[in-house]
Amino acid sequence: MLEAKLPEAAEFKKVIDAIKDLVQDCNFDCNDSGVALQAMDNSHVALVAMLLKADSFDPFRCDRNIALGVNLTSLTKVLRAAQNDDVLTIRAEDAPDVLNLVFESKTADRISEYDLKLMDIDQEHLGIPETDYAATVTMPSAEFRRITTDLIAMSESVTIDVSKDAVKFSATGDIGNGSVNLRASTDVEKPEKSITIELTEPVALTFSLKYLVNFCKAASLSQTVKIALSVEVPLLVEFGLSGGSYLRFYLAPKIGDDE
Amino acid sequence: MARTRSTKPAATGKTASTDKTATTTSASSLYTLPDPPTNPPKLFILPKSATPEARIITLQNPRYSKPTRYLVCPSTGFYEFTKVTTPSPSANPRSWLLTPPTLSPESSSTTIQSPDLFLATPFDPLFLLLPALSTPGQRMFLSPDDHLDALPNPDRHLSEILTWEPTRKLIEQRMAVICDTVEAGDETMYRLNEQKLLSEITSKAKKMAEFLSQSMDEKFVRKALEAPVMGIKSAQAPPTEESKEGTPASGTTATTDSQSTLVSSKDSQLSTASTAITTPDSEVEIISSAIVASPQVISLQRLRVYFNFICSSYISPSISSTLKTLFSSANDFKPLDEYLDQLTKLKQEAAASRSNDFAGKRTRDEEDDEKAEKKRKMEAEEKVKKANQSRGVKKLAKVNTTGMKKMSEFFKKKV
Repeated sequence: MLEAKLPEAAEFKKVIDAIKDLVQDCNFDCNDSGVALQAMDNSHVALVAMLLKADSFDPFRCDRNIALGVNLTSLTKVLRAAQNDDVLTIRAEDAPDVLNLVFESKTADRISEYDLKLMDIDQEHLGIPETDYAATVTMPSAEFRRITTDLIAMSESVTIDVSKDAVKFSATGDIGNGSVNLRASTDVEKPEKSITIELTEPVALTFSLKYLVNFCKAASLSQTVKIALSVEVPLLVEFGLSGGSYLRFYLAPKIGDDE
Repeated sequence: MARTRSTKPAATGKTASTDKTATTTSASSLYTLPDPPTNPPKLFILPKSATPEARIITLQNPRYSKPTRYLVCPSTGFYEFTKVTTPSPSANPRSWLLTPPTLSPESSSTTIQSPDLFLATPFDPLFLLLPALSTPGQRMFLSPDDHLDALPNPDRHLSEILTWEPTRKLIEQRMAVICDTVEAGDETMYRLNEQKLLSEITSKAKKMAEFLSQSMDEKFVRKALEAPVMGIKSAQAPPTEESKEGTPASGTTATTDSQSTLVSSKDSQLSTASTAITTPDSEVEIISSAIVASPQVISLQRLRVYFNFICSSYISPSISSTLKTLFSSANDFKPLDEYLDQLTKLKQEAAASRSNDFAGKRTRDEEDDEKAEKKRKMEAEEKVKKANQSRGVKKLAKVNTTGMKKMSEFFKKKV
């Protein structure tokens, strides 16, 4: 039996919204520590990993490990029925056929309840090791979203070049080239506007912009985004959520031919 | 449970030790569970008559012209290996457990992972010589050495065994059986005589016919001669009897009318192929074959099947085609051919009458329906999948991912 209550449906809605544009069907793995999700896109070059810790819910109860196979498009449709400030409760039996979602309005006495049919999804699970990245950049997530949407006008791919005190995004395409240079800065009044760079060695790697733009659908979840790079390792784009939960995206770098 | 399991392989071990000598190839270590050995042990059954000097060597297979393993013993001659294997080993995983006849705590047993069994059976070296003797074009009288030089010599194993005096003698003897010889000085020269070869192979086929087991005979010889079974009302029974009498060269055909209801094909001496079941008062339907093969037809068929078997397993295609023409001119296969013609006609008639059957038609329709149903389902599923795809997923499908490695190359799969 799984029963998990979120005081506000908004965050969950946004998380699912961000993931549904990358993967179609995936398993929600529920256990007593929380709800986790790991899935790859159809081309298997990107991976999304989500963890909603038990602390993010109140209350959270999960007696047994359950995998909930969900079509994310269908889940989005159901979640559209939830107001952002509704109290959201998700429930499932131990061997479930359906996922039960309840939205309770705080102001009115309105309770809506939906059952979403589950499916069997055969998914391989990858072990993601702890990595010490050569460069870690923390910046406002809105800034990152803007850079990716701006640069995709120039090219399909972007080179992220991190040096000691600046990070440079550059794109070269048929119509010309463009770049955005961000210097490390500290904003004392609004710490979320700061740009920090932790560097052990300079890195420059190229990534598919379409995937990065896709990841940025999650930008509204968090004020800041953490971008971590190392050579020969997938790029990590992490959006922190409340209560230590997170939404992470991994993307394989483009190596070789510059197209 | 463990005891019952061990009894069967132990019995196998016993037969192997009483009848034949069982040996495993190399003395590779027992119980090597971690990393399987690169050359895992195999189970061989070798003839008891083979001496310790016998060697497993590689020679050119006369039929398939590729290197094949043979067992050669200086005193008892050549043996070929027949692999006895389980059908679809992945579906029925099996292994060997070899134990001494009596199980005692200090006796050691061996497990062999591969369920295959290699059986060494006597082999006529004559077949090995054929590729060298039957060179195309003008055939010359040549010394045995010249003939043997023409043989492929993989790994130089052949030249090694030719240094064994008894083996060399045996080979020359076999060569003499199928060759014309002339004496030139103190040396004998040989040239292949196809008639001699033919009579040698024919006698082999005849021997096979004599000694092969009933079940083999049933499967390979009689099966092809079986006529379609037809249900005939008892009223029509007498004419059938007559027509049986009328089949060519079947004057002695006996329809075994027994008081018991069942006549097994083994009991009836002559009309084995017929499965005539008659009830005492013969009121009910008689089920019988439309025509019955006469003993002459059966023996001719037997000879032909076995001759073709020898040709197709031991003799290269070019020689076997010449042999087959010689073979059919040397023997009179007219009764057999006539019978087979009649049989094909009957089979066609039976098939035609069956295809008119409503039942037969229905099954075909059902099959088609099933196929169409499956196709529809697949299409519907595909459609649902497409409809459930988000815009983002559709867009990403068009992204050029060249130069991007798969995630599984970075992150290991969790078990």
